[in-house]
Amino acid sequence: MSAIPNLEEYLAEARTWLEQNLEPKDPREPMRVRGVGHSSPEDFLPARALQKKLYEAGYAGISWPAEYGGQGLPMEYQRAFGTMARSFRMPNLGVAGGTSMGACAQTMLKHGSDEFLQRHIPKMLSGEELFVQLFSEPGAGSDLAGITTRAVKDGEQWVLTGSKIWTSGGYYADYGMCLARTDWDAPKHRGLTWFAVSLKADGVTVQPIREISGEAEFCQEFLDEVVVPENDMIGELNQGWSVTQTMLLIERSSGRDDPSFLPPVDTGVDPKLVQLAEQVGRSQDPVARQIIGQIHANDYVRVKLGDRISGLMRTGDKPAAGIASYWKLAAGVHDPIRARLIMELGQGVPLSWEPGDAAGERVGIEYLNSRVWSIAGGSNEMQRNSISEKVLGLPREPSYDSNRPFNEVLREAHSWTGSE
Amino acid sequence: MDPLLSDDQHLLRETTERFIEKSLPLASVRSLVGSGDGADEAYRSQGAELGWFALLASEELGGGSISGEGVADAAVLAEVRGWFLQPGAFVDTNVIIETLANDTSGVDRSEIVGSLLSGEAGASWALAGPGGAWEGGAGLHWHPQSDGFRLDGRKTLVVEAGDAAWLLTTAEGPDGLAQFLVASDAPGVTITGVECFDLTRRFYDVEFKGVELGSDAQVGTLATAPPAFDRQLALASVLSTAECVGAMDHLFELTLEYSKDRIAFGRPIGSFQAVKHQLADTSLNLEMSKAAATAAVKAVQVGDQASLEVASIAKSFVSDAAVELAHACWQNFGGIAYTWEHDFHLFLRRLTTDASLYGPAAFHRERICQLEGF
Repeated sequence: MSAIPNLEEYLAEARTWLEQNLEPKDPREPMRVRGVGHSSPEDFLPARALQKKLYEAGYAGISWPAEYGGQGLPMEYQRAFGTMARSFRMPNLGVAGGTSMGACAQTMLKHGSDEFLQRHIPKMLSGEELFVQLFSEPGAGSDLAGITTRAVKDGEQWVLTGSKIWTSGGYYADYGMCLARTDWDAPKHRGLTWFAVSLKADGVTVQPIREISGEAEFCQEFLDEVVVPENDMIGELNQGWSVTQTMLLIERSSGRDDPSFLPPVDTGVDPKLVQLAEQVGRSQDPVARQIIGQIHANDYVRVKLGDRISGLMRTGDKPAAGIASYWKLAAGVHDPIRARLIMELGQGVPLSWEPGDAAGERVGIEYLNSRVWSIAGGSNEMQRNSISEKVLGLPREPSYDSNRPFNEVLREAHSWTGSE
Repeated sequence: MDPLLSDDQHLLRETTERFIEKSLPLASVRSLVGSGDGADEAYRSQGAELGWFALLASEELGGGSISGEGVADAAVLAEVRGWFLQPGAFVDTNVIIETLANDTSGVDRSEIVGSLLSGEAGASWALAGPGGAWEGGAGLHWHPQSDGFRLDGRKTLVVEAGDAAWLLTTAEGPDGLAQFLVASDAPGVTITGVECFDLTRRFYDVEFKGVELGSDAQVGTLATAPPAFDRQLALASVLSTAECVGAMDHLFELTLEYSKDRIAFGRPIGSFQAVKHQLADTSLNLEMSKAAATAAVKAVQVGDQASLEVASIAKSFVSDAAVELAHACWQNFGGIAYTWEHDFHLFLRRLTTDASLYGPAAFHRERICQLEGF
C-alpha cells in the first residue's frame, strides 16, 4: 500500500481533475434525491458513465477499503473532497445511487465475505451495479421480521420466491439486497438470510407502484423462483436479523428518515398560508387567522424540537434511538394536522384547479402526502413503542410469536384469540 | 427544561429546590388550600434572599443575574416553582421590576425597587379586564387631570394582589395606552379576594374608583407604554410558560410512576399499548413544550421585536399542551384522580389556569398574526 499523500496536495490534484472533467455548479443548489419522478433507466446512463470516470480516477470511495476498489484514505480526505465537489456537477444516480452507496454497501462491508465484497463493491463504486433494498413486503412492514419471501437451497444455489415492496428507484437498479426466510421451523428472527439478487435475472418482475398522488416513486418486485448463486449470500445463514439491525442503524444515523421539509420558521409564517387566506378572502376572518397562528406555532415548535433533540443526544442518558423517535413521531402526528388545517383554510378552493396549474394542485398533493411520515420508515405506533419502552421505561407487550417456530405462528395466526 | 444549562444555573436550580422542599413543599401548599392564606411573609423574603426578584434588575439597583442572562435564570426558577405548584406573584413581580428598572422617564423609584428586590414588598400586575379581555388597557381608563391622572375601572385575575404593596396598571385613555404604579392602599382602590378554580394561588378583583394619582405615578411615557406593554406580556408569557412546563413535567412523572405501579389484568397498566401509546404522545407533547419554552426564553433574553412573536408562539403552544397533558394524565389515573386527597386536581386546576393567564392560546395566535403584520 502506498503512503498517504499530503491532504493539501491531494486536494489540489483533485481540484484540477474536477475542473477538467466536471461542469461547475452553484454549491447552494440543492441535491435532488427524492421524487426522481418519471425518469427512465436510460436517463441514468450519462450519470453512470460519469461515475465510472470518477471511479477510474480514484475519486469514488475515497475512504473505502482499497482491497474493494476504494482508496483506503482517512475519512477527512473523503469529507474534504465532498465539500469541494459541491461546486461541481457530480454524477446524480438518484435515490438508488444513495441506497447503493449508503445502506447497502455500508451494511455489506460489515457483514459480507471477502470474496463477495471483492466481486461487488468495486462495481457498486463505479456505478455499474446499483443496489436497492428488497426489504418490506405487502404483508410485512412494521413487523419486518415477519417477511415471507422464501429462499430454498437447491444444490449450489438458492431459489427465491416472494414479493417485495416500497423499493425506491427499483426500476433502474441492477441488484436488490434482499431479505428472505431460510428456516421456517426457527423463531421469526432466527430464520432470516440476506442475498444479492440480480434484478435482471429470470423470474424477476419490477413494477412501478402508482401512489395516491398519481406519482410513481416506488416499485414492487415479484420474485418467481429466482436463482441466486450461493456466493451471493450476504452474512451468515439464518443470521439475517443482526445484518438487518446494522442496516437500520446505518439508515438512522445517515438521517435518511429525518423528516425535514418544514418551511424555514425563523422568517415567519409560511407565505403560502397567507397567500391562500388572501386568495379566499379570509385575511381578516378570525377563524382563518387562528388556523394560520396555530400552523405557524406548530411549525416553529417542531423545528425547535429538532434543536432540543440534538441537545438531548449530546447530554442525555436515554438511548439515542428512543430520543430520535420524538422527531419522527412529531412529523407523523403533525403533518396530517397541518395538511387538514390548510384544506380547511382553503374553504374548498384547493379542491379544483385549471389544467396544468401546478400551484393550484399543490395543496391537494401535500394533503395526500401528509401521512408519509405517519406510516413510512417506522409507523407512528412503532415510534410510540420506541418512546414508551426506550425513554419512558415501560414494559413491552407480551410477544406471541417471537419464540415459536415461524411456520406454526403463520398457521395459527388467523385463528388467534389471545387466550392460551 | 433546557438540557444545556450552565453550572451556575444548575446550582441555582438545586438551591431553589432545596429551599422549596424545606419551606413550602406540595403538602404545605395543600394545607393552605381553603384557608384563605398565602405563604407567610418569610417565604417571600427568603425567596428574595435566593435572588428570586433580583435577576432582571441592574446591579446599581441592587439586582444582578447569575449567568449574565437574567431571563434565562428567572426561567430556571420559574420551572422549579411550577414543579412544586408554588404560590406567589413571582412572574408579576419580576415583570414589574424589569419595567421599573428600564423606566427612563426620570422618576426615582430605587426605593420601591429595593423593597421588591428584598421581598419586603410585593407587587402584582393588574392586566386582565373583566370579560376575559387581555389587551393591554382592557377594563381600566385613565383621564388626565391638572397635576396628574385619575383611574377608573376594574381588573380581574390579579395574582396575589392581597399581598401586593404595589400594583402596576395598564390602562386605556384619551391618548392611548398608559401605565401607572399604584399603591395598593391608595384611596379608591379596592382589592377583593375571589373564589378560584386554581387552589394553589389566590386571585383578586381590583376596582379603581376615581383613583387620583400624581404625575410621578406614570411609568414611562405615552410613547413608551405600548412597547413596554409588549415586552411585559412577552416576559410574563415566557416565565409563566416555564412555570407551566415545570408543573407539566412533575405531573407527567407522577402519572408515569402510577402507570408502572398500578396493576390491572395481572400487569402494570403502563404495559398496555393503549396506555403506553397515550403516554408516548403525552411525552412528545411535553418535549415540544420544553422546546418551545427554551426557544422563547432565548428569544426574550435577546428581547428584539421578533422575541414578541416567539413568546406568543410558546404561550399559545404550551397553553394548549398543558391542558391536553392534564387531561391525558387524568385519564391515566382513572378514579383516584377524582378524589380530593389526590394531588392530581391541584395540577389540573393550576395548568388549566396557566393556560388562560397572560392571554389564552387563541389570544396569542391572533397576536402572532398581528405581529407578522398579517
